[in-house]
Amino acid sequence: MGESEDYCRMDALIKNAKKGDHLAFAMLFKENYPFLVKYLMKITMNPDTAEELAQETMAKCVQKIHLYNGQSKFTTWLVSIATNTYIDQCRKKKREKNWQGQEEVYRKLKWHFESRNEEWNDCLEALGKLPEDVRIPIILKHYYGYSYEEIGEWMKLSPGTIKSRVHNGIKSVRRELKLGEETESHYPEQRTSR
Amino acid sequence: MKKQKVIILNSEHQDKQDFDAIHDLQEGLQRIDQFPVYTPNLQWFEQMVIQEQQNKRKKLIRDLSVFFMIALIILSGMIVSLYRMPAIFILVQIITSIFIVLYTSIRIMKKANHV
Repeated sequence: MGESEDYCRMDALIKNAKKGDHLAFAMLFKENYPFLVKYLMKITMNPDTAEELAQETMAKCVQKIHLYNGQSKFTTWLVSIATNTYIDQCRKKKREKNWQGQEEVYRKLKWHFESRNEEWNDCLEALGKLPEDVRIPIILKHYYGYSYEEIGEWMKLSPGTIKSRVHNGIKSVRRELKLGEETESHYPEQRTSR
Repeated sequence: MKKQKVIILNSEHQDKQDFDAIHDLQEGLQRIDQFPVYTPNLQWFEQMVIQEQQNKRKKLIRDLSVFFMIALIILSGMIVSLYRMPAIFILVQIITSIFIVLYTSIRIMKKANHV
């Protein structure tokens, strides 16, 4: 019951936002802001970039609200716009040759973890070392549970390409976490028998 | 038979390792979700929306003005050439038609090759 009430309220807010009601827009954004920033924090691995991109994403939403058809959840629509905004920013930075390289990506997030006396997770470091076009599909698939088709549509790639990027990305994470080395030491006999 | 068994075991082990890596990743990402995010107040969002709507309106007016200006220049050029230099008018028409046909065919061919 609560969920359907929430859905109706969101629906009403979106309808009013489409009519140009700025208060409805503001309420929609305020409600979804933490979700959006946290999503962007995961894909950018940088809290400052995440906040900056969240503002850019909201600005794009105001421009494109007439394109939102209500078939998917509003948060899904936000995720698709945020993903594209980040990919565009990466392309722009690479063109401008300001790219710091993958090594630098997760350092800011690590610093934030340490400043809050929280334990840093090696998995996040492994994820941060991956290029953004591999990191994004992994997060969208295995954390948010979106389908390969949806991710492919947002990243303008085929579902097969996304699937192979996720697969290879997970393999790289395993390698980084040294999970692969266990295989070699635990299963030497199997290898020789093949 | 033995060979098959080993392959199955190996692939099962690979799957387990993938599953472990995914589980670790999910745990790590969950920590980011626990990060406190400062959410600005409603007025800040409202101000941002108003600013963006104004930008959108300004951009629309600018784009429409540019469109009408260019259309006016092209139309006046066409009318002048039609009455003063019909040969040039016909030449421009032929060149434009050829360009449109060529451009469309190249686009369709590229799309077909891509699919």
